[in-house]
Amino acid sequence: MKAIRFQKVSKIYRRSHLGRVTETTGLDGLDLEIEKGEVFGLLGLNGSGKTTAIKLLMGLHLPTTGDVETLGRRAPDVEVLARIGYTPEAAYLNKTLTGREIMRLFAALSGIPAPDRERRVTEMLGKVGLDKAMDKRLSEYSKGMLQRASLAQALIHDPELVVLDEPVTGLDPLAIKEVRALILWMKAKGKTVLFSSHDISEVERVCDRIGILSGGRLVKVMKQDEWQGKPDALETAFANAVVRTDGVGPIRME
Amino acid sequence: MKTISAVFAYTFKEHIRHKAWLSSALFGLVLLAGALVVSALGQDERPRLMLDLGLAAIEAISLVSIVFLTVNLILAEIESRAIFLILTHPVRRADYLFGRFLGTVAAVALGMAAMALMHALLMSLYGPLETGRYLAALGCMLGKTAVMGALSLLLSLALTSEAAAMSFAVFFWVLGHFSSEMRFLADRSGSAFLKTAIVAFSHASPDFAHFNYRDFWHHAAPGAEWLLWAAAYALAYAGACLALSVQLFEQKEF
Repeated sequence: MKAIRFQKVSKIYRRSHLGRVTETTGLDGLDLEIEKGEVFGLLGLNGSGKTTAIKLLMGLHLPTTGDVETLGRRAPDVEVLARIGYTPEAAYLNKTLTGREIMRLFAALSGIPAPDRERRVTEMLGKVGLDKAMDKRLSEYSKGMLQRASLAQALIHDPELVVLDEPVTGLDPLAIKEVRALILWMKAKGKTVLFSSHDISEVERVCDRIGILSGGRLVKVMKQDEWQGKPDALETAFANAVVRTDGVGPIRME
Repeated sequence: MKTISAVFAYTFKEHIRHKAWLSSALFGLVLLAGALVVSALGQDERPRLMLDLGLAAIEAISLVSIVFLTVNLILAEIESRAIFLILTHPVRRADYLFGRFLGTVAAVALGMAAMALMHALLMSLYGPLETGRYLAALGCMLGKTAVMGALSLLLSLALTSEAAAMSFAVFFWVLGHFSSEMRFLADRSGSAFLKTAIVAFSHASPDFAHFNYRDFWHHAAPGAEWLLWAAAYALAYAGACLALSVQLFEQKEF
C-alpha cells in the first residue's frame, strides 16, 4: 500500500462570469506514488499546482478526472484523515481562541480520548515552544508562534502521514532550522512526509525524492543520489524543467 | 456526537467572545429599558404594554442576531480559511454544520435568557408574572429563532453573498407572517399555475403562525398540544433546511 497515490489526476477550475466561462488548469494528468516512510518534496513555481495537489489529498478539492488515494483509501475519506496531519501555507486558526483552546478543539476532532486530551495538548504545545503562551489568545501570537500552533495541531494525534504546504515560507532562519529538524525527526519515526516548497536548499537537505511541477504537470522526479554531493544539481534541474506560466518575464538587469 | 459537541463548544465560545454579539445583547437591554419608559404612557395598561414591548424587543434582537450570526457563520470561516484546518481533521461535514448551527442557536438563546431575566425582573415590579405562560412565549421565540437560523444558514450556502443571504432572510421572515394570507390569495386565484406557485411558496416559507403566542397570550396559556406542534414544526422546518444545507456544503470546494 502506497502512502499517497495520484492516478492520472487532473483539476480544472471553471469560473463563470456574465455568461463567460474561464477554465484554468490546476493539475494535468498527475501520476505520482509516494512510499510509506518517504520524505517527498514538491517543488514548483507559484501556480504550478503544488497546493492544488495537496488540497486534493486533503479533500478540500475534488479531482476533475482521476483518482487520489491516501493510505490506501480514496480521498476524501473521513476516517483516513485521523491518520494524517496537515498544515496549510499559512496558519489559518480562529484567533478568538487561546492556544490551549484551539488545540483542545483539534485534539477532540482528531479523536483523542477525553482523559488523554489535556495531557497531550499541554505536551504538544510544550514541544513546539508555546508552553508559556498557551493561555494567550491567538490574536496576540506572532507569525512564528501561529506557525508553531499550526504544526502542533498537525502532530497532536501522532499521524502516520504529514502533509506540509510551504512550511518554511516567511519564517526566520532559526525557525527554518527547527522545521528542518522536525521533518528529519518525523522521518526517523517512520512517518511519511509530503511537503511543498519554493526553497530548493531546504528540499535538498531533507528529501528522499523530489517532484517538480510546472504548469500543473509533473515534469521531473529525482532521487536523492541525483543531487546529493553535486552542488547546484537540483537548482539546475529545476531551472531547466520549469516554464513560467504566470505571465511574468525574467529579471534582466543589463 | 463527540465531533458535534466539540464544534458546538468551539462555536459557542467564539460567539461569546465576539463583540458583535455582545453589542446586540446590550442593545436588547437598552430596548427593554426603552419599553419601560414607553409603557409609562399607558397608565392602566402599563403592565400589558411592558410585557408586549419587552417580548417584542427580545424577539427582534434574537432574530437580528440569529440571521446575522448564521449568515456569517460558514462564509466568514471560509474567507478566513480557518475551515481548512477543521475539515482536514476527521470531521463529517454534516457534523460540522450541525455543531456550528447548534452552537449559534445556543449563543443567541443565552442572549435571549439574559434579556428575559432583566425583563422578568422589571415586570415583577408591576405584579406577579405567570411563569408558565412567559416560558411558553420564550419557547415560541426560540422555535422561531431556530427556524430563521436554519433558513439563514441555507441561504448563505446557496447564495454565497452575505448581503444577498441577509436580504432574502429578512424577506422570508416577513413572508412567514403572512402564510394564511398567501393561502387565501391562492384560493382566490383564477390561474391554476399561479395557485400552485403561491401554495408551494407558502409552504416553502416558514409559517410563523405556529409560534404566534400573541393570539392566546392575554387570554389563556397555550395547551401542551399546541406547544408540541410548534416544537415539531420548528424541528421539521429547521431539519429540512439543515439537510439541504448539508447537501450544498458537501459539494463545496475550498
